[in-house]
Amino acid sequence: MYISKQWLQEFVDIKNIPPQEIAKRLTLSTVEVENVRVMGQGLEQVVVGIVKSVEKHSNADKLSVCRVDIGKKELQIVCGGSNVHVGMKVALAQIGAKVRWHGQGDLVELKPVEIRGVASEGMICASDEIGLGEMYRKTEEKEILDLSGIKAKVGTPLAKALGFVDVVFEIDNKSLSHRSDLWGHVGIAREVSALFNKTVRPYKTPSIPKGKGVKLSVEIEEKKLCARYMAVCVHEVVVAPSPAWMQSRLQACGVRPINNIVDITNYVMLELGQPMHAFDASHFKTKRIVVRKAKNGEVLKALDGKEFALTKEMLVIADTAAPIAIAGIMGGEESSVNEETTMVILESATFDASSIRRTSNALGLRSESSARFEKGLTVERAELALRRAIALMLELCPNAKVASAVVDKKQVKTPKRFVDMSSESVERVLGLSIPFAITKQILIRLGFGVVRRGQALRVVIPNWRSEKDISIPADIIEEVIRIHGFSRIRPSLPLFSIVPPVDNPLRTLEYKMKQLLAHECGFTETYNYSFVSPELLEKIGLNLEDHFELGNPIAKDRPYIRRNLFPNMLENVEANLHRFDAVRLFETGHVYVKDDMTGDLPAQDLFLGLAYAAKETDIPFYAIAGAMQRVFTRLNISLVFRKDIDVPPWQHPGRAAHFLVGEAAIGWMGELHPFVAKKLGIESRVAILEMNLNALLPHLGGEKFYRPIPPYPRVTRDIAFVVSKEIAHIMVVEALQKISPLIVGVELFDVYEGKNIPAGKKSIAFHIVYQSSDRTLEAGEVDKIVVDIEKALVSNFFAEIRR
Amino acid sequence: MASQIEVEALKQSFQEALESTRDIAALDVLEQEYFSRASGKLTLLMKGLGALTPDERKVHGQMLNALKNELFEELGNKRVMLEGKTMSDIAIAEAIDVTQPVEFPPGFGHMHPVTRARWDMEEVARSMGFLVEDGPELETDYYNFTAVNIPPTHPARDSMDTFYVKDHPHWVMRTHVSNMQVRLLKKYGAPIRAAYPGRCFRNEATDARHEHTFYQFETIVVDRQITFSDMVGVIKALLSGLFKKDVKVRFRPKFYPFVEPGVNGEMTCMLCDGRGCKVCKGTGWLEIFGAGLVHPHVLREGGLNPREWTGFAFGMGLSRLVMLKYGIEDTRLLQSGDMRFLEQF
Repeated sequence: MYISKQWLQEFVDIKNIPPQEIAKRLTLSTVEVENVRVMGQGLEQVVVGIVKSVEKHSNADKLSVCRVDIGKKELQIVCGGSNVHVGMKVALAQIGAKVRWHGQGDLVELKPVEIRGVASEGMICASDEIGLGEMYRKTEEKEILDLSGIKAKVGTPLAKALGFVDVVFEIDNKSLSHRSDLWGHVGIAREVSALFNKTVRPYKTPSIPKGKGVKLSVEIEEKKLCARYMAVCVHEVVVAPSPAWMQSRLQACGVRPINNIVDITNYVMLELGQPMHAFDASHFKTKRIVVRKAKNGEVLKALDGKEFALTKEMLVIADTAAPIAIAGIMGGEESSVNEETTMVILESATFDASSIRRTSNALGLRSESSARFEKGLTVERAELALRRAIALMLELCPNAKVASAVVDKKQVKTPKRFVDMSSESVERVLGLSIPFAITKQILIRLGFGVVRRGQALRVVIPNWRSEKDISIPADIIEEVIRIHGFSRIRPSLPLFSIVPPVDNPLRTLEYKMKQLLAHECGFTETYNYSFVSPELLEKIGLNLEDHFELGNPIAKDRPYIRRNLFPNMLENVEANLHRFDAVRLFETGHVYVKDDMTGDLPAQDLFLGLAYAAKETDIPFYAIAGAMQRVFTRLNISLVFRKDIDVPPWQHPGRAAHFLVGEAAIGWMGELHPFVAKKLGIESRVAILEMNLNALLPHLGGEKFYRPIPPYPRVTRDIAFVVSKEIAHIMVVEALQKISPLIVGVELFDVYEGKNIPAGKKSIAFHIVYQSSDRTLEAGEVDKIVVDIEKALVSNFFAEIRR
Repeated sequence: MASQIEVEALKQSFQEALESTRDIAALDVLEQEYFSRASGKLTLLMKGLGALTPDERKVHGQMLNALKNELFEELGNKRVMLEGKTMSDIAIAEAIDVTQPVEFPPGFGHMHPVTRARWDMEEVARSMGFLVEDGPELETDYYNFTAVNIPPTHPARDSMDTFYVKDHPHWVMRTHVSNMQVRLLKKYGAPIRAAYPGRCFRNEATDARHEHTFYQFETIVVDRQITFSDMVGVIKALLSGLFKKDVKVRFRPKFYPFVEPGVNGEMTCMLCDGRGCKVCKGTGWLEIFGAGLVHPHVLREGGLNPREWTGFAFGMGLSRLVMLKYGIEDTRLLQSGDMRFLEQF
C-alpha cells in the first residue's frame, strides 16, 4: 500500500518531520515501510525556462541555437527539438543535471559542451529524457516537452511546477494484515500522531442532504455475510475527469484515475480504508438492490472485462434480475459508471471477511477492495465513507443532487467495547515501568478512551479497531509498548529452578545413529519430502491404497504421504549414480501408517532408512549388514539377523532379512529385486534397510559389565569344513557354542565357493577359542572337544571336514 | 510410399515373430531386423518418406511414428518378460547367507546441514534447562490451529496454505511447530521450558526461495512471573549461546495469533558482527525470529490459568538459518538428495 505524506498532512501536522524519520518510526512500531519514494527525485537541476530566440545552427541542418530565460539568467542552448519555437515554455536541464540521452542508456551528467563549434550551457529536454515519458507521451521522435500550458514562472524547479512535492511511503501489506484500520491514510495518520505526539485533526463529514424523487430499496438475504449495507442515489451528475489534485493523489498511491465518480470512491477508500462502489442507476429498473448468494451457473462480466462463472457460495449484489457486482470484490461492467451516466447509486457496505477471501480465491480475482474487506472492517466506517463520498461528489459536480433517502440496513448493533485492567499490569507484563501519563497519552492518541480509578483502568476501544485486534489487556499493553518503543525494554533473566530437563531418549538415539552412520560407516544423510509420487510407488509395486493421500496437493507430482522412507531414497540413488560410483545414503523421518491409529492420529513413528549401491558391487547387502553390525556394537545392543523367505515381489527373494533385538523385530533389510531396480533406472544392485527407532527405544541402555581377566591362557584351534550353502552362519555358531563351556569364542575367518568345491556348497573356516577360568587347558582336553565339534558338524549339517 | 496395407503387414509379421521369441538372444536379433539404423524394416519404411510432398510426409510420418512407438513398446514388454523369466530363479542362484558377519571398512560420510543446526540449537536449549520434544507432523486441526488461537475463519486455514489429508477433514500436515504449544502444556503443565524443532509444511509452489517442506525451531517458557524483558533476556542468551558470541536483538511489532504482544525479531548479523555485509544487505541486522508473550487463549487451552501463569514463545526458521549460515541460494537443495550438495557438509 502506498501512503502519501501530503495526504497524511491533512490529518496530522508532520510537515517538518523528515520522511525517513517517519518511515523508521512506523517500521519499528506499526507497519513495515519498505521504501520511501520522493516524487520528482532526479529533477533537482531541471527548471522551467522560456525560449527567447531560435536561430539555425550554422554548421548543422537539424540543430537550432536558442536563448532560454530561466529567471536569474539567460542560457545559450543547442537544441535538436523539432517543435522548439520562441515563447515556448520548456524543461531546461542545467549543467550538473542528470539526463538520459534520447530516453535511452544510463543517466549522464550534463557538462558545458561545444556542439559543432557552438557552446551549449544545458539541454532542452524531451519528456523521456527526464523520466516523464509515461506522463507526457511524445507524438514524434524529436519532440521536446512543451510546458507552455502550465502557470509556473520561469526558473521554477520542474518538480514543483508539476506538483511533484509529495513523498510516498511504500508499506508491506503483509505487515498490516491484522489491522484493517490501517488500510487508509486516516489510520496511518493516527499512528503517526501517536508516534510523534501530535494532535490528529478530527475527521469531520457533513451529514447527507435529504433527497427526493427516487425510491431506493435494499434487501439483504445473507445477513451473516453482510453486516451493513448503505446506499444512496445521486442524480444530475456530470461524469468528467476529476480535478488535478485528486488525480495526483490517486496516482501517488498507485491508483489510475478513471472519472470523477469512480475516482471519488477510490479516494475515499484510500483515505478511510472503506471500499465503495458506484453503479449507474439507469441500469436498475426498479431501484431495488438485493444482497444474495449467486446461483450456480450465473455469470458476470466484471469491470476488468473478464467473465466470471459464479457459484452458490459467492455473495453478489443483484438487481431484481441478475448479479451486477461480486460483493466487495469487483463491480460488473454493464452497470459501471461511464460518460453517459447522469444518475448513480453509491454503495458503502460491510461484507464478511472470510466470505470475500474465499470468493476472491475461488475466482482468482483480487482488488484493492477485496484486500481491505478480507481484513475485516467495522460497520461504523461504512457510514463515514458514504458521507465523505457524497460531500466530495457535491463539491466536484456542483449540479448534482441527492435523489433518494439514504438506505441503511444494519444487522449488528455494536456495543461500546472496553478492556478492564489494572494499571500496574503494564509493568508486570513488560518488566518495564512506564509512567501512567505516557501510557494514557499513547492510548488517547490512538483513539482509545482511558478512565482510571485507583489501580483500576478502563480502556474504551475505538470503533475502528476490530474485536480480533483488541479485546484483552495484553492487546492494550502491546499498543503502549510498541508506540513507547520495544527498544526501551532491558533484557532480564527469569528465576528458574535448577533442574535438569526431562530426557528425550528418542532424539538422543536418532542423533547417535546419525553420527555413527555418517562418521563411522561412511553414509551420507539425505532429506526427502514426506510426499511421494504414485508413479514411483507403482514402479516399485507398492499399493497406493495403503497410503494416505493429500486432499489438496499443490505439488501435483507427489500427492501421497510416505509410508516408507525407501521409495524416495531410491530416487536419490538413481539420480546420484549418474555422477558417483558408489551411493551410501541414510535418512531418518516420520512415516505414516494407514489403519494404525494411536489416539486421534495415525501412527507416525520415527524410522531410519539406508540405501546402498555401488557400480562394481554385486552383493550390496553386506555393506548394509556391516554398517548395522557396527552401529549396534557401538550401541551395545545385540542384533540378530533372520533370513526372510516369503518376501514382497519388489525384494530380492534370496537376499532378504529382518532383524531382532531380543524378541522384537525392529526392522528389515534386503536388496531390491534387480528387476524393480531396472524399472527405476538403476543398473546396479541396491540394498535397502528400514528400522523403526521408536520400536528400538525400549531395548536401549545395555550396560557394559566388567569381567575379571582370566589368569589362564586361551588356546585357539582352526577348523574348516564344507557344507551346503543353505546352512546359515548363525546356525553353525549356535551349535558350536553349545558343545562345551570351554569354548569362549567362535569366529568366522573364511568363506569360499567355487573351484574344487561342489556346486551348492561352500567351504567355511572358523577360529575356535578355548579357555578355562580355573586352570590351564591341556592339549588332550582341547583335542577331545575338537572331536565333539567334528561329530556335531557332521551329524547336524552333513559337513565334510577339511583336513 | 508405404500403403496402409504394407504397414499392417509389417506390424503383423513383427507381432508373430515376437510371439515366437523364446529368449533374449532371439529378441536382440528381432530388434535388429526391424529397428536397425541401417537396414531395419521399419527404418527403411521411414526413409521412404523423403520422396513425398511435405503434406504427405506429415500424414505418413505421424502414422509411422505411432507404429514405431507401438512396436517398440511391445518389444520392451517382451524383454521385461523374458528377463523376468531368467531372474525367476535368483532366489536360489543368488541366495546369500544373511547372518554371516562382514568385514566392513570404516568410512566417512556427511550429516545434513539442517541436522547439525538443529542439534546445536537443541544443545544450547538443553544447557539452559529446556526439555526437547518432537511431535506429530500429521496433526489434528485442533492442535495446529484452534488450540493456538487460530479459529476456523482465520485465513491461515485456507487450503491454499495448508495441506489437508484426503478423507480426513480434521487432519493437516502441520503448518508450524506451534502445534506443540498446547500439547506440551497439557503433558507437562507449568512451570515449563521446552524446545521443539521440527519439520513443517505449507501448501505452496516451490522455487529457489519457497519450499513446501521446511524446518522450524521454537521454544516456550511458562512460569509464574515471566515478563517481556525476561523474554528479551532469554532470547539473547539462547542466540548468544548458539553463535558463541554476544548478539544484540531488536524487535518490531508483528502479529501472530498465539502471542500478544507479538514481535518480529532481528539479531546482529552473525556473519559480519553487525558491520554490514551482503547477507544482511548492509544493515548489520538479520530478521530471523518471531516471539511474543503466550496468548491467554493458549494458556487456557493448555489447562493453565492466565491469571496465575505467564510465558513467552520464541521461534525461528531453521531452514533459513542454515541457508544464511552457508550462503545456500536455493532452498530446494535441502531436500534434493543430491550428493554434490550433501557431501559439502
